Amino acid sequence: MNFAGFICDNTGLVLEYTANHVSLVIGVLLLSLALWITTGLLISRHARLAGAVIGLGNVVFCIPSISLFGLFMSVPGLGLGRRTATVVLVLYAMMPLIRSVHAGIRSVDAAVVNAGKGMGMTNLQLLLKIQVPMAWPAVFAGIRVTVVLITGIATMATFIGERNLGRLIHQGITRGDADMIVAGALIVSLIALLLDYLMGRVERIIISPGLRYQSLEPYRGSA
Amino acid sequence: MIHFDQVSKTFAASQRPAVDRITLHVKQGNICVFVGPSGCGKTTILRMINRLVTPDGGTITIDGRSIMQMDPPALRRTIGYVIQQVGLLPHRTIAQNIALVPELLKWPRDKTEKRVLELIEMMGLDPSEVGHKYPHQLSGGQAQRVGVARALAADPPIMLMDEPFAAVDPIVRLRLQDEFLRLQQTVQKTICFVTHDINEAIKLGDYLVVLKEGRLVQTGTPIEILTQPEDDFVLSLLGDDRGVKILDLTRAETLMEPFENRLGPIKSNGHRVQSIDPVKIALEMMMQKNTDEILVCKGTRPVGILRWPAIKTHVNRISGGTV
Ligand SMILES: Nc1ncnc2c1ncn2[C@@H]1O[C@H](COP(=O)(O)OP(=O)(O)OP(=O)(O)O)[C@@H](O)[C@H]1O
Ligand SMILES: [Mg+2]
Repeated sequence: MNFAGFICDNTGLVLEYTANHVSLVIGVLLLSLALWITTGLLISRHARLAGAVIGLGNVVFCIPSISLFGLFMSVPGLGLGRRTATVVLVLYAMMPLIRSVHAGIRSVDAAVVNAGKGMGMTNLQLLLKIQVPMAWPAVFAGIRVTVVLITGIATMATFIGERNLGRLIHQGITRGDADMIVAGALIVSLIALLLDYLMGRVERIIISPGLRYQSLEPYRGSA
Repeated sequence: MIHFDQVSKTFAASQRPAVDRITLHVKQGNICVFVGPSGCGKTTILRMINRLVTPDGGTITIDGRSIMQMDPPALRRTIGYVIQQVGLLPHRTIAQNIALVPELLKWPRDKTEKRVLELIEMMGLDPSEVGHKYPHQLSGGQAQRVGVARALAADPPIMLMDEPFAAVDPIVRLRLQDEFLRLQQTVQKTICFVTHDINEAIKLGDYLVVLKEGRLVQTGTPIEILTQPEDDFVLSLLGDDRGVKILDLTRAETLMEPFENRLGPIKSNGHRVQSIDPVKIALEMMMQKNTDEILVCKGTRPVGILRWPAIKTHVNRISGGTV
């Protein structure tokens, strides 16, 4: 096996593909977080709406990615390339993100919300000062799954004209070049691992220590 | 101060009212204790005062103003609330939990910080040790005290306390009750206190409200309820040791034989209690020292003598000879 040799011989190409891959994933991630976390929060107050939206997310998630790319490519204004890739990947992120936000908000101890309300918090204050901070651990679990997922599925966008690491894998398959496949797959995994690690660092900053240790030692005050 | 007029509440999907035409008055600076078995509507009554539950009949007024005319969040910030499940915010430190209402009221930061320190100390905790901890690092008793401190933070004139000492062992509970009474001496709040423990109710209450299935069964001072129970329900709630509880609330001077009509030297065996001490203390002393009489003093001056037959007659008369 000589995938290292392949990378050395094609440094320019590999760097271009990697940069494209990373920028697509990061763009999709930022859009998805803004869109789906907001949606998740908005539907958390309405059980029936939440059921419908989560159901829709599940359906989208079950469609094979290659057909979804193909379908959206034919939508006017999207076409071949980045736009279609972004739309489809954002749709894939819907299920894990909305689900985790919904689960996170629902997992918040009713007694704590009750206390906040009794202290005189408005609904917006309850959301921002209690429900969101307490939902972070569940939301972050969802974000980290999404990051890894998007990085992988992004390889399929090579079929609609994205010049990313998926191309190495695809061409490696058609040419029967194992080094090329391994090089592509390896870099994709490294990107996924790196992004996951970075999210782990962000998580440690955002999630309160009061919640981080909760799984080790149950909160005794609410007995 | 707080007035209930024919207040009722029936929850959706329930045939029986949770609170049924309650009329009562809580006086300024008093501790009013709501007592009754589980499900009798105690929590619902408290939650109607700060509008967490909306009554479907009757009116509640505070200082003559109907609470329905007030903005709920604003109303709640003027009423301290200790919830039954403690409900500290797990993602905030103890200091941040106590600072919650001052923060909502937009107090300046240094004023809030000073108040938080003051409260942690008032609760008998060490600010440097506890302030930066998170709720999961506290014991049950510490968490309950923080819950009380949080309710007191913005110095509200009214406090609603829903079984604030329920989650601790009996010994800690007794200590928290004593601390609570001492605290009330200085803060003088109007307090609505919920418990299903009749001993706690008698010990803490200036005024008791006995509830059963959402209805008001009897109201009065602890001694009134102990000596004149309305019916068998109240009688059974008070327990078989009603006589002893009465002796705990009766002062020695009430049952003593006063000296004022007597001249001549006072014969004493050296055992004495203060005139305002409960008769129960005198009784315990009689048993310990194996004597039938105890000298009753005001300070150092003897004012009367308390004899065992007088106590026996008193208990027999009040409890109808059952003790
Ligand atoms: N939100 C609610 N929805 C429906 N029913 C309720 C609700 N809250 C209370 N109830 C019912 O109202 C009745 C009184 O409840 P409440 O919580 O006031 O009792 P409680 O005296 O505080 O009891 P406990 O000592 O167990 O705390 C109960 O029958 C309860 O099931
Ligand atoms: Mg209750």
